[in-house]
Amino acid sequence: MTAKSAERAARLLVIGLVAGLALAVFAGRWVVETRHGASLLHARIAEAGGWTPGDLSATVGKPLHLRLTSDDVMHGFAVGQTDWPAVDVLPGKATDVTLTFDRPGTYTFYCTRWCGLNHWRMRGTIEVRGPVEDRLQTAAELATTTPPSYVTLGLDIDAPHLAAVIPARKPSAARGANLGVTIPAAYLTQDYYRAHSPAKIWQALRVETRHGASLLTDDDVWDLVAFVWQSNTSPEALAEGRALYASNCAACHGETGAGDGVMAAALGQQSHAETGGDTKAPVAFTDATSMLGASPALLQGKIIRGGMGTGMPYWGPIFTEAQTWALVDYLWTFQFETEYAP
Amino acid sequence: MRYDLIRLPLLKPLLRSRWPQLLFQIIALGGFVLAILAGLVGTPVGNHNFSIVFVWIAWWALLMLIAVPLVGRGWCSICPIPVPGEWLQRGAVLKPSGRGPSAGSGRGLSWGRRWPNRLRNIWLQNGAFALVALFSAVVLTQPRVTGIMLAAFLFIAVGTSLIFERRAFCRYLCPVGGFIGLYSQLAPVEVRVKDPALCVAHTPKTCYLGSDDGYGCPWQVFPGRLMKNTYCGMCGECLRTCPYDNVTVNLRPFGADLQHPTGRRLDEAFKAFILLGSVLAYSAVMLGPWGALKSAAYAVGTAAWLGYALTFLSLIFGLLPGLFWIAVRAGQVFARSNTPTRQTFIAFAYALIPLGLAAWIAFSLAFVFANLSYLWPALSDPFGWGWNLFGTTSMAWTPYLTRVIPALQTLALLGGLMWASATVHQIAGEQSPSVGHASGLSQSLPVILFCLLVTLALLGLLVG
Amino acid sequence: MISPHVLPSTLHARLALALAALAVAFFPAPTSLAAPTDRHIHLEASRFAYVPAVIAVSPGDRVTIEFEAADVVHGLYLDGYRLNLIAEPGQTARLTFVADRPGTFRFRCSVTCGPLHPFMIGKLSVGPNWLLYRAIGLSFLSVIAGLPLIKRQALRDTP
Repeated sequence: MTAKSAERAARLLVIGLVAGLALAVFAGRWVVETRHGASLLHARIAEAGGWTPGDLSATVGKPLHLRLTSDDVMHGFAVGQTDWPAVDVLPGKATDVTLTFDRPGTYTFYCTRWCGLNHWRMRGTIEVRGPVEDRLQTAAELATTTPPSYVTLGLDIDAPHLAAVIPARKPSAARGANLGVTIPAAYLTQDYYRAHSPAKIWQALRVETRHGASLLTDDDVWDLVAFVWQSNTSPEALAEGRALYASNCAACHGETGAGDGVMAAALGQQSHAETGGDTKAPVAFTDATSMLGASPALLQGKIIRGGMGTGMPYWGPIFTEAQTWALVDYLWTFQFETEYAP
Repeated sequence: MRYDLIRLPLLKPLLRSRWPQLLFQIIALGGFVLAILAGLVGTPVGNHNFSIVFVWIAWWALLMLIAVPLVGRGWCSICPIPVPGEWLQRGAVLKPSGRGPSAGSGRGLSWGRRWPNRLRNIWLQNGAFALVALFSAVVLTQPRVTGIMLAAFLFIAVGTSLIFERRAFCRYLCPVGGFIGLYSQLAPVEVRVKDPALCVAHTPKTCYLGSDDGYGCPWQVFPGRLMKNTYCGMCGECLRTCPYDNVTVNLRPFGADLQHPTGRRLDEAFKAFILLGSVLAYSAVMLGPWGALKSAAYAVGTAAWLGYALTFLSLIFGLLPGLFWIAVRAGQVFARSNTPTRQTFIAFAYALIPLGLAAWIAFSLAFVFANLSYLWPALSDPFGWGWNLFGTTSMAWTPYLTRVIPALQTLALLGGLMWASATVHQIAGEQSPSVGHASGLSQSLPVILFCLLVTLALLGLLVG
Repeated sequence: MISPHVLPSTLHARLALALAALAVAFFPAPTSLAAPTDRHIHLEASRFAYVPAVIAVSPGDRVTIEFEAADVVHGLYLDGYRLNLIAEPGQTARLTFVADRPGTFRFRCSVTCGPLHPFMIGKLSVGPNWLLYRAIGLSFLSVIAGLPLIKRQALRDTP
């Protein structure tokens, strides 16, 4: 090999490598994206931008391929009001998800791993178009024909709800069952349970049992109230409620429901400009006076609608109705004892 | 006690040929370009980005644990940073153009100016290293910052090559070169001439000026009088250009260069303090349990960071040299020595070289092996884009060797202390031959106590 | 000024030092007299520190760690014991183990939680840190070991 040709070969090698490398990198990215049918969907904590892109579109019946990666901490991905299990979105790694929708509408996808104070704000939307119509069905058309209970009942869910009377000890559904009292069927229906706060149920049952054969104490009547609650739920619902509470609520409301979650302190320090409202400390579900004065419908309303700037997220697009009721049922375990949820 | 390695059968043709070195340089350049790209466009998550993982874990481990202790400036012979600039300077990638680059001849592009006399020292390198060390919490964790920094090095190196002759960047600006140069004095390998008398008689000095067989020394070193490894980048040009085959590579005892009493300078002495202070700071900030300190080091621009920066800079430029000065002075007083303190201070500072290297090894052992497992996913998915080139992307992080690392660190630190103490004794013997050897002990003891103090501090931080 | 004639003979000094070094390095550490107890440690992790960052228990203790994450998902990996735990805000993780390995161990975050994640480190001491004490002892011994060198040099150079 002559010196000249050696030099030429060496130059070719250098240019080939450097240019080749840069080219290979971007070509590689293009190839991988084409093969997976999607570019990367980046997750960042809400303060840093949340989901990018935050708006996706899909067509009914056509699989939507997503490649999820995180740019900072561990996140999670799930689509509200669907059955698909949540997937973890790991920093610097890519997770593949394929979604096939069978109904058009606007779906909300959200983060399922606590990633900071504004974790719940980390949401995006997927507009799913129907195969035939070229217009989106509006949210109103998609909504269930029945509005949520608090609306039909005309409840003002922001009004104070304090119980006039509270029990001296934690009411127990088991004790209530063993009192040998037959509760009239009207008090045991789901509609009645959902529409009335435990305090109201207590008042009604107190009146009902005032002239009974056996003398019931006020706390005995509370045990009956607990029993009414337990009859309207199930171990499965409470288990689901517990899981939902642990992953969505405990960070602010506390694992013991006392409103002392790890995020609670920071919540009060958020500014009005950040949140659009005046944040409050998270409610303590262990506080009997306010809990027992709230009906399940009111609690459901608060969960669905959120706190209007208080820092309480709105879960309407996220939880199905069944999930919301399961969560509400679970909240009462901070007030009542039951064998359904040890 | 020297063993001429060129006697080994394959080594001579390997070193004389330009291809092996070029191939290594091209590979290194490829890795370097990949690191810049990954830093700039890859995932912002540091531990899954090639630039952070391969520069600050893999390359750092290679350098600190293997290359520097065993081959001194060996890395410099294949370092990619100056190479593109050098190609432009020489007008060629492979073949020598017949004459050295210093006269601005050949088809090269450089202006070829001489490096200014006032800057013919390593103070700029000291400053550059201190700067990088100061921002290390951000540099080591943010791929963008590493990418920009590496690109800046490349840019500055090319620019320097286009303006100045030879490897001015490497010799006077590169922060890495500053510390590799200092610690290379300890390495068991050296490039030296076999017979200095031959060099005196030989003209022209092709090893410095270049010839048809190679370029003149890019490191601005005259091989005929080379005594220490500090500024020899082991590029092998002098091996190629010497018509008498007078240049060779020797195997030698560790730390041989410390035996030379001449050529000790203040800028090199301060380099030793900067490195020692940096490893102490790194051990506290990065490997310590103090979260507030880490956050302060990271939050550039805040008051907390300013406090950290001032403390760090006072430690490396003030406290450590100050304490050392007190130790030297105390020793002089006990020994009733008349040697100028400045000279003694500089001389004894060279004992901190083995102490510093041992400290960096001890620090790096913990940092590298705890995070080495990030290498495997970074190889398969260098940009954090979800690739899986070699099937190792899903390998989970797990720290290696956690049960033995503290013992290894202890051995390194103890070895460094013993080596430093021996060096202190040797230097004391040089410094005051006239005063009497017993007083050498009095002179050494305070300095040895300083070394002991530093060792105890490092033990406390790393093993405690 | 220390006169060389006061120092012991080099061979004896070397022997004594070598024995001392071996003793310091290898002599078995006294076993703890304290009876093992149950310990409950509430460990809170936030970006990028643990609280408490330094924990001390005795060998043999049954340690229960309540690991709480305060802001994002964090992990806990204990060197030496190779234990791994993950916690998310609102979901405290619990782990019980017996601290049968004495020594000082680092624990680190095992879930990427931000830029400083690789430096999120804490320390668990199970009993006294004998390695550190031995190392300190050996450091002093190595300094003393250097002293006879001068004497040898002085004797050699004195006419």
